[in-house]
Amino acid sequence: MSVLPSLRSLVRVTAVTVLQHDLPGLPDVVTQEVASFTVQRLSVLAAHMRLGIAAIALFVRLFASIAGQPRLLWLSKTHLPLLGEYFRLIRSLSYAYIWEKWPDTRSDGSPA
Amino acid sequence: MNSVQPIWDDAKESKMSCEVLIIGSGAGGAPTAALLAEAGFDVLVVEEGRWVEQGSVAPFSLDQMDQQYRGGGVTVALGLPSIAYTEGRCAGGGTEVNSGLYRRPPTEVVERWQDRWDVRDLDPDELMKTAAEVETDIHVTHLPGPACIPSQLLAQGADALGWKNDESPRWMTYPDGNPRHGQRQSMTRTYLPRAAKAGARIFTQCRVNKINISHGKATSAGVSLANGQAGTISFKFVFVCGGAIQTPAILQRSGLRKNIGQTLAVHPTVKLSARFADAINVPDDVPVHQVKEFAPDLSFGGSASHAGLIALSLLDQWSDFKGAIEDWRNMAVYYAAITSEGRGRVMSVPGLVDPVVTYRLTARDRELLRSGLSRLSLLMLEAGATEVYPAFRGAPIIRGRKDLAIAQKRFSVNKASVMTVHLCSTVPLGENRQLCGADSYGLVHETKNVYVNDASLLPDAPGVNPQASVMAIAVRNARHFIAQEKPHA
Repeated sequence: MSVLPSLRSLVRVTAVTVLQHDLPGLPDVVTQEVASFTVQRLSVLAAHMRLGIAAIALFVRLFASIAGQPRLLWLSKTHLPLLGEYFRLIRSLSYAYIWEKWPDTRSDGSPA
Repeated sequence: MNSVQPIWDDAKESKMSCEVLIIGSGAGGAPTAALLAEAGFDVLVVEEGRWVEQGSVAPFSLDQMDQQYRGGGVTVALGLPSIAYTEGRCAGGGTEVNSGLYRRPPTEVVERWQDRWDVRDLDPDELMKTAAEVETDIHVTHLPGPACIPSQLLAQGADALGWKNDESPRWMTYPDGNPRHGQRQSMTRTYLPRAAKAGARIFTQCRVNKINISHGKATSAGVSLANGQAGTISFKFVFVCGGAIQTPAILQRSGLRKNIGQTLAVHPTVKLSARFADAINVPDDVPVHQVKEFAPDLSFGGSASHAGLIALSLLDQWSDFKGAIEDWRNMAVYYAAITSEGRGRVMSVPGLVDPVVTYRLTARDRELLRSGLSRLSLLMLEAGATEVYPAFRGAPIIRGRKDLAIAQKRFSVNKASVMTVHLCSTVPLGENRQLCGADSYGLVHETKNVYVNDASLLPDAPGVNPQASVMAIAVRNARHFIAQEKPHA
């Protein structure tokens, strides 16, 4: 059975949390659209990368459920190998999408 | 309407046959197909990606990443740090999506390949003659007018420092004489139509899973077709031209492993974005100037710089850099690329569709990347940048020379976004059996009819944009094959 559905849901929650923190002015509907894009892009990665991301995403969700959502944001600022790259990947895809599609978006995510 | 007539089809037949199967349609596969078809061979080209008409997707966009790159443009060589790389996955391969800059291999590089890897008959003068022919075929030319502003700024900064720089020619035509209206003369515009005209068949969305080899002789390839079904292609000869990652992966899946995929070479690159007083951003093009003062170790150039890519370049220190994104029209992204001593591996793992790729930078590589980013920052200040934003965690905003020392002190490669677009050397050619996976003309050692003819063959990274080297060697090898095999065909 594919890990894809669980990967999608795991990444989506993290992406939304990170975007709401980093870009508080981003409208909710846009946040959801960006998270959907990010999840879709991660689902077409090479199989070994998807597996790695699924493992990290699962760890992150477990951590957040035990330590609470604010600690997830703390985790997102750590720079441990793999873990840091997971959050960076989410941010890379999300930011690239936002500013490519709406180039005049303000730095807090609010529309121009 | 500029689109070419359809000369391709999606692969659907479960059993196909040909005299020469060419796997991949990029800078190696396309000229090989054209020359062999013109010499009278029955050629079949299979390409894993789709045929995407030029102009149907915005250059350097996420849409292009989705349609023309493997993994949507997100592919990584694992390591500390991991190095992001991109691979074209479409008809024409990387030539459809890269910057289009063209540099012949330096003579000393060719001589090094000849000597160290014992490449027979690789005469630099002859190779340059072949390169000149390629340049005619793909219309390598300089801009018919001034370069875009980010390119001019790079040159101005280098001039102010007395650093050697020049405009790199590109494989472009400029029908109306406007340097902004260049038409890329990629493989779908040049060698693939030539191949089709000479009778070659071109099938897209056809992935080769394995070449069936017995006692060194390959007879057929197992493929996945566009409709998801499995198929078989039988052949007399096969040329594997899937690029420096996919070619060794296909060979390894086929049981060939000696000196295959063990010596991946790249040009690791670090980036910065520079902010100027006036609007300078050109979203749909890249600078053509390159700074070669410290070449071959270190080169500087400009990258694609639309707003999404500016945001990416600011990401590593977003808390301090984010304000700059609102001024993206005054900004452009630049890179420092090194010739790396490190090496990587491509490993095909049973059960996984894609190979695992790793890369290890040496201490010298790390120091070179540090000094490269520092020198590039200085260059941008000299070019008139008001602020420079290096792409690494903890980077300061550089507003003057005094900030350079702080940036250099804080820099660590492990904190930086390292990437590359130049991948090569995973099946080096030559007679040195300790180092080489193929002979001097690309015939894979221990095989009778399995050839490689792409970037995998370059013995190491040339220190310049590699497409010219790839194409010149591919044409040389194709001609040798024709001379050897045509009399017997």
